[in-house]
Amino acid sequence: MSSLNTGLAIALSGLTADQGALEATSNNVANVDTPGYSREEPILQTTDPVLIGPLTFGTGVTLQSIQSARDPILESRIQQETQSQGQLDAMVSALSQLQVSFTSSSGDIGTAISNFFDSVNQLSTSPSDLSLRQNLLTAANDLADSFNTTANRLTSQQSNLNASVEQAVSQVNQLTQQIAQLNQQISSIQNVGESAGSFIDQRTQLIDQLSSLVDVSVIPSDNSLTLTTASGTPLVAGQQSFQLRTQPDASGAQQIFSGSSDITSTIVSGQLGGLLQIRDQQIPSLQNQLDTLASSLATQLNSVQTAGYDLNGNPTTNTPLFNAPPETGAAASLSVAITDPALVAASSDGTAGDNANAEAMYALRNQSFIQGQTPSGYYSGIVFNVGNAASSANAEQSASNLVLQQLNDQRSSVSGVSLDEEAANLVRYQQAYAASAQVISTINSMMQTVINMKSS
Amino acid sequence: MRVNPNPLPDLLAALAQNQQQINTDLNQIASGQSVSQPSDNPAGAAILTRNADQTSEADQFLRSIGSVQGEMQNADSALNSVVTALQRAISLGTEGANGTVNSSDRQALATEVQGIQSQLLNLANLSYQGNFVFAGTATQTAPYVSGASGISYVGNDNANNVTVGDHLTAQTNLPGSQLFSASGHDMFQAVQDLINNLQSGSNIDTAVNEVSDAYSFVNAQRVFYGNSINQLNAQQTFLNNETTQLAQQQSTVGGADLSKVISNLVSAETSRQASLEAVADTQKNNLFDYLK
Repeated sequence: MSSLNTGLAIALSGLTADQGALEATSNNVANVDTPGYSREEPILQTTDPVLIGPLTFGTGVTLQSIQSARDPILESRIQQETQSQGQLDAMVSALSQLQVSFTSSSGDIGTAISNFFDSVNQLSTSPSDLSLRQNLLTAANDLADSFNTTANRLTSQQSNLNASVEQAVSQVNQLTQQIAQLNQQISSIQNVGESAGSFIDQRTQLIDQLSSLVDVSVIPSDNSLTLTTASGTPLVAGQQSFQLRTQPDASGAQQIFSGSSDITSTIVSGQLGGLLQIRDQQIPSLQNQLDTLASSLATQLNSVQTAGYDLNGNPTTNTPLFNAPPETGAAASLSVAITDPALVAASSDGTAGDNANAEAMYALRNQSFIQGQTPSGYYSGIVFNVGNAASSANAEQSASNLVLQQLNDQRSSVSGVSLDEEAANLVRYQQAYAASAQVISTINSMMQTVINMKSS
Repeated sequence: MRVNPNPLPDLLAALAQNQQQINTDLNQIASGQSVSQPSDNPAGAAILTRNADQTSEADQFLRSIGSVQGEMQNADSALNSVVTALQRAISLGTEGANGTVNSSDRQALATEVQGIQSQLLNLANLSYQGNFVFAGTATQTAPYVSGASGISYVGNDNANNVTVGDHLTAQTNLPGSQLFSASGHDMFQAVQDLINNLQSGSNIDTAVNEVSDAYSFVNAQRVFYGNSINQLNAQQTFLNNETTQLAQQQSTVGGADLSKVISNLVSAETSRQASLEAVADTQKNNLFDYLK
């Protein structure tokens, strides 16, 4: 047999539950613009009924928990896409700086090659003319300068990337530390059965940030979470974070270490992946191509120059045009060996008016002696490679942006706060609260009736 | 299904994209170029690089042709004077061979031919911009020197070739040994013989024939210069056409298609306008506004 007091208790449970639900709503409204916030849903449940004789009586409602609405699979896809976006962002920004050196201008290598051969052809028309010889030396110096400048730009960009690598590693360390701390807080809250929604939101945000820096795999466990790089290097295990460190190798390039193992080559994604790809692959490959061009050009021109005669009829066997280029770094160190215009070997027989050697030098312009290509053809290949790398990184970046945007849309459709919804909930809980209050007031007046029964 | 309650990031992304399109279009309009950096069109940038080299080469060929033509025209007009002088010598010789001319007249004729001889020496030692034109490739010293044994050639037998096109070279000079002192056709020897024979009064006809032969020979060799100059003119025309074609190709590959760019710009601006209005309209109202 139920009592009025039981009814009162049931109505009271309604009041409490609605009040709790309203708190969730008001928290949602307050966080409508908080980045990474997942909306909270009150989980209401009927309390266990009591059986009295043949009758089953409800005992009210309880606010079981306040749950954040999130889709873990979607979030892990967002993290993956953030990794490739971080990688592409780093590549696009590095490549767009790189390609400036290969944009046609008055000082680029292509123009310098053209100008040099132009000056050789001009000298050929009047091989004993000192001003034309000087002209050729000036063009040769410009050619060497353009190689030096471009090679130096590549090197200085490489050292900028090096600094960025160091920065990114220290950001990674900071983030993993924060995530480890949050892991601790979350597990201590969850161990006592409470909801750690906002901490989890924060952690998700931090993992997103970490994903934009490095490739991260997330391995969830009870109340906690383990983070590793894609290749398995631990970053965070529960409440402990593992710091990465950088150490320069022999050439000064910062290598990334976890403990004592070098993990540089295993990082392929995130900003770090992009930076390393440009620093360790793109730039060295460009440097190689420039070195090949500079050293083949210098070697071939020298072999023609040393086969001829100078203006005074002396053989130029020992006066090459360019200082012999080293094996590596030919582009950076290319320099003209002679300053006296009379030493240019235009003549092939010692007479000052002979131009056969200048003609032989000029013929190199259209000879395919650099891996089957002419100097200008080989250079245009380099321009294509740089442009192609930049343009495909651009295209991939746009695609990745679109995918990420779509994923964020989906995330927002699951986790985002809708003010319409919250307004409706507000009305709902308010009305339920008012109804429960009405029930209490009714029971109260019933009580009064009972009490008055005695006194009347 | 629950829909995304916050469309603002999407709209902002669309706005940014519009803005980027507008920037690209404005850049193209301002520069007139559709390929301002290699990533705009990598294959196009490579073509433009080769095109720039070819253009530069064609321009250089035109400059070289200009220089070579100057020298050759000079040589040709010198040869013209040589031919005229030889004609004069022949007519003086013919006059001297006439039996009615007395000895002192022949001496006067011989003196005049001596004048012609030194004029010929000057012409054969023609220098153009510091180089002796008829010296073969020994251009730094005068090719003809006058000595006890008459006028002799000290130049060499070589000629220069200058590249003036793809696989096209032009010979820029004829050495004196192929013009004035070819074996069997020695011009200076013939004129000297004429002088000597006018002075002695014997075998004047033979000497005149020798000079005639030298005249025909020089005249025949001179055709080389005329032909070469014509050939260079033709090559000049070809190179001018090539430069035009290269410029055409450059603008096809790298130039901005203005009408297309402007219509892109207009549509980008329209869609930016629409996006802006959408952003301004977004979430003006929600249910809270109606719950009073």
